[in-house]
Amino acid sequence: MSDRAVKLFRVGVASCGIAAGAEAVMEMLKARAGSIPVVGVGCLGHCYAEPMVEAVLNSGESVLFRDVQATEADMDNLLAVGPNKRFEIPPERKSRELIKVLALAGRIDPTDFDAYVANGGYEGLKRALSMTPEQVVDEVKLSGLRGRGGGGFPTGNKWGFLAAKKADNKILICNADEGDPGAFMDRSLMESVPHQVLEGMLIAAYATGAARLFIYCRAEYPLAIKHLNLAIDQIRTHRLNVVNGRELDIIIKEGAGAFVCGEETALIASLEGKRGTPRFRPPFPTDSGFQGHPTMINNVETFGNVPLILREGGAEYAKIGTAGSKGTKLFALAGDLKYPGLVEVPMGITLGEIVFEIGGADREKVKAVQTGGPSGGCIPVELFDTPVDYDSLRALGAIMGSGGMIVIGKDRCMVETARYFLDFTHRESCGKCTFCRVGMTRMYETLERIVNGQGEESDLDFLADLGPKIRMGSLCGLGQTAPNPVLATLRYYRHEYEEHVRDHHCRALQCNALVDLELEQDKCIKCKMCIRTCPVGAISDDFVIDPDKCTRCNSCLDACPKQAVRRVPKRKK
Amino acid sequence: MSIEFKLDNRVVAAEPGQTILEVARANGIEIPSLCRENRISKTTSCFVCVVRDRKTGKFLPSCSACPTPGQEIDATTPEVLDMRRTALNLLLSEHTGDCEAPCTLACPAHAAVEEYVRAGRQGNFLESLKIIKERIPLPMSIGRVCPRFCEKDCRRNVYGKPVAINDFKRLAADLYYDSYQEELPDPIGKRVAVIGGGPAGLSAAYFLRRQGVLSTIFEAMPRPGGMLRYGIPEYRLPKTILDRELRHFEQMGIEFQCGRRLGENLNLADLHRDFDAVVVAIGCWKASGMRCEGEENALLGIDFLRNVIEHDCKVPNPGKVIVVGGGNTAMDCLRTSVRLGSPEVTCFYRRTEAEMPAEKIEIAEAREEGVDFQFLVAPVKLEKRDGRLVLTCRRMELGEPDASGRRKPVEIPGSDFETVADTVIGAIGQRVQAPAEIAVNRFGVLDAAGDSLRVAERLYGAGDCVSGAATVVEAVASGRRAALEILRDIAGIKLETEPEINVSRGKWQYLKKENLVFIRDNVSESDRAQLDQIPLEERKSTFRETTITMPADRVSKEGERCIECSCTDKKECKLRKYSSQNGCDPEKIKGARLPVSYDTRHPLIIQDRGKCIKCGICVKVCKEVVGQTLLSQKKRGFSTTVSTAFDQGLPQSCADCGQCIEACPTGALDWRNKA
Repeated sequence: MSDRAVKLFRVGVASCGIAAGAEAVMEMLKARAGSIPVVGVGCLGHCYAEPMVEAVLNSGESVLFRDVQATEADMDNLLAVGPNKRFEIPPERKSRELIKVLALAGRIDPTDFDAYVANGGYEGLKRALSMTPEQVVDEVKLSGLRGRGGGGFPTGNKWGFLAAKKADNKILICNADEGDPGAFMDRSLMESVPHQVLEGMLIAAYATGAARLFIYCRAEYPLAIKHLNLAIDQIRTHRLNVVNGRELDIIIKEGAGAFVCGEETALIASLEGKRGTPRFRPPFPTDSGFQGHPTMINNVETFGNVPLILREGGAEYAKIGTAGSKGTKLFALAGDLKYPGLVEVPMGITLGEIVFEIGGADREKVKAVQTGGPSGGCIPVELFDTPVDYDSLRALGAIMGSGGMIVIGKDRCMVETARYFLDFTHRESCGKCTFCRVGMTRMYETLERIVNGQGEESDLDFLADLGPKIRMGSLCGLGQTAPNPVLATLRYYRHEYEEHVRDHHCRALQCNALVDLELEQDKCIKCKMCIRTCPVGAISDDFVIDPDKCTRCNSCLDACPKQAVRRVPKRKK
Repeated sequence: MSIEFKLDNRVVAAEPGQTILEVARANGIEIPSLCRENRISKTTSCFVCVVRDRKTGKFLPSCSACPTPGQEIDATTPEVLDMRRTALNLLLSEHTGDCEAPCTLACPAHAAVEEYVRAGRQGNFLESLKIIKERIPLPMSIGRVCPRFCEKDCRRNVYGKPVAINDFKRLAADLYYDSYQEELPDPIGKRVAVIGGGPAGLSAAYFLRRQGVLSTIFEAMPRPGGMLRYGIPEYRLPKTILDRELRHFEQMGIEFQCGRRLGENLNLADLHRDFDAVVVAIGCWKASGMRCEGEENALLGIDFLRNVIEHDCKVPNPGKVIVVGGGNTAMDCLRTSVRLGSPEVTCFYRRTEAEMPAEKIEIAEAREEGVDFQFLVAPVKLEKRDGRLVLTCRRMELGEPDASGRRKPVEIPGSDFETVADTVIGAIGQRVQAPAEIAVNRFGVLDAAGDSLRVAERLYGAGDCVSGAATVVEAVASGRRAALEILRDIAGIKLETEPEINVSRGKWQYLKKENLVFIRDNVSESDRAQLDQIPLEERKSTFRETTITMPADRVSKEGERCIECSCTDKKECKLRKYSSQNGCDPEKIKGARLPVSYDTRHPLIIQDRGKCIKCGICVKVCKEVVGQTLLSQKKRGFSTTVSTAFDQGLPQSCADCGQCIEACPTGALDWRNKA
């Protein structure tokens, strides 16, 4: 057989691929491929190119295709390894990424136990079982791994706390309640390589002596839950869940959708069947957690790192990263950039490298990046030399968070951006702490007033005064971080706030209440597309937009073939 | 093993498991907390109890945090208090309710209206009177002449007419004033001089006496009562009634010295020598002129009224009368003139009826009695001609609103006209007639320091001479305030004042029926009770009191119309108490509130969710103490509420318990029965 013949097709059928139509592609390809195996795999991290198909040639060469549709033409192209829809990973991204945790994502069938084992799976567990539990804890400590859920607490220390507890019924929980909008690192990992997460949990169970294992996964991740359940069945079959002479049960608990349940004490309450609200610590879960038992909670990505550490050794693992932050980190890259998707980078990479080189964002058009999801903070482009690690980001008023990274373009209003994030967090407060429940609502209302042009100078002082109080007067991470978007934008973009309240001006021309739509007569070709498109009849027959009728929906702007419609500062009456 | 740590710089000891809050309380440091209830597991919700760890700078909820050895905790630094105040202000900003009923708030004397109406509704008018006299020592007079501020704000106005509140005062006083004797402490040896025997002075003396401070009232006129006697006409307030009322003051041991006028046969230096404090309550006795040419030919309103009273209403027929002015004094002059036999009584007012400051009822009754009203007319000249008076007037029209918010009258040129009359009375306004010893400010009133009413060392002002001409009930309230200030200054007696915080659902003008909270069942839908009047002919020809005190059954029935707006928990509410103590302000932080949602499906318990602070104590008490799970939080964020299973309401069986009610820091859960 020719070297150029296809040996194997891989189709990305994680949630993102499925959403783009990958299942139909896979079905059709299977029908057309004859004896060539077609394997459904997880996520390669290139959301913008889905559905993606990889053709592995007999020579071992891999050819990637993007935007594949379930059409005869596309199938012909795939089978012939044709020139159409070829996909090359952008070279800048390729050079900057360091793929370790996600090494098997998009390479193997997530439901195929043997494939995982064939690629080094469960070797970490095997090595762990050859060591004493104390040695395993030490290995993790040596690796410098810190919690990937956002807190950044040293994982080895946490394991040490639980291991030191003399109790029969220690609990281990995998926090898979990935709640940040736009974050999908954990989902991808669970969907693509579920065994890697389970392996990490089993190693942790061995090291800490935990007897019961839970995965608290949000119900919105059906595919992850399906793959995890399959994987759990498989390790039962292979008796891999027998650790410390005990057969461990791994139970998946589906969360009901409250953001706050990602907080460990709220998660435990929810797991216990109670209302998911956090409680005061101490006692910390490692002292008294699920039903009073010593309990340890690690995030999906944290567990995903553990097999690696055991396989290659903590010292080797620690070679990557900065002094305080070791290993690689997954980021869900989104916003105003060319290549949104899931990326894995070494700790210590700069924000600029991620945003511009990996994300392909336009250097001229980026204003800031929001790290840490809706409760993180924005970092202005001037500070993009900052290395990405837990401590540097915190120093800038942002947080690492679980790994959401949203690029904010120059055409975005920072007040509106803060309002947008608070819209989410203030709704998601559990309602327990006064500062978070009422304070966040009051901050949100204030931001709404400002973007609607009804803000006052005193509103800025109010926000600046209340924000830190909410941080300090809330029990859990939600309230402690929820004011961040406001405080960070106030810190770096106070002038935008001031323009809104003083001059009723939005420099980004984004806040509808402060903007008019204007039609430039000399560009207009009188095609009437705008008039036909306008849903409220705001454009007259002589092509003038009535600002009182116009809802600033941008329909005309989008419809105009000559870009004759512009957003302009609202005219003073 | 107990540990030691520093609390507000004091080394204190804590037992294992003791929270900072518990240690603080054991050491006499008061930290407010709304969400801590000792019988249940920690809720850690309100964050009012925050303290600060000095070393880490972190704020800790002291209800939940246990001290660690060597920790330095600040519980009362400005930063901590600011944090605490913000927590309370945030809670107030989402709090929906009425601490006090709007009637009580509207009453200048803050009389407990809802309570005395309730007692009256239950037929207990003696109890009613007791409650009234806690704030209003002149209920017979005020029950007759009060302009009823309370009724203007009564929520019954939302549909129909307000409760006839003032008639409860009048009836209760008519029935029991003579027989009810409040408990009086033995005199404590301090003495106060009160200059002026009008309502303000009487009120000051009364409230001083109730704390054991005796006073002497120095009255310039031959008899005490001030405007009650010499200003308000007999037909509105019979002087026999006033005499009955004043007798009680003498019985309390208050001394009256009449005919003593400051600057004539009385001076401040002597009073300061002989008394521990002096109250100046000399009223507003100087009438303003008509401010037109020949104004000296006119009588002045209060002088006219005083003259009639001094002559027991036996003065000659004034002939054809014109009264210039639109206030209550003008109405009194008009209606007095009618009773003196005047064949034609006319009121000239420079604006329209809508702008008239007189009470609507007074205007209506004057009309009934035959008074003619001429609006948009201003006097220009008054001259004597052929033994009669000729008043030249100019017609006006309304222009732009002035400082008072009323539209300003503007002259219409060339519209002058003449009217002939026998008597012209100017009832434009009154000012303080201050003796040389008493300094007045540029507004012509005594310069008292804000609410304290302190004018100088041991010298206080009260009533009209501080406020400018006002009402009896305002004078009474002012007298009480002066008394409280004096008690504190000279006797160290600090009476518990009402909490300064008041949350309100708003004035009835901005409310709809569904905003009203009906805690009481069977609020009556009937019409407002009306005072009976003597026959019109008798009104016009005699000075007999025009209205007749309502019978008890009618007043009790009127009480059924009261909605009872105030909070069931106003006396015990911790949110109100701590907010008052910490200088909070319900208006400080503005924002949306949850839509009013209250639940009276249970016959004995009200659940008023707008007052809930979401601490969850009730949920935990029900579960952990009672062993039931009748309550639970639902929804999240700002919309969090405490609810019952499937929103079916509390089962009747739980009425026997009430544990959640006892534990609720506010009135979110309470017994419906207020009495």
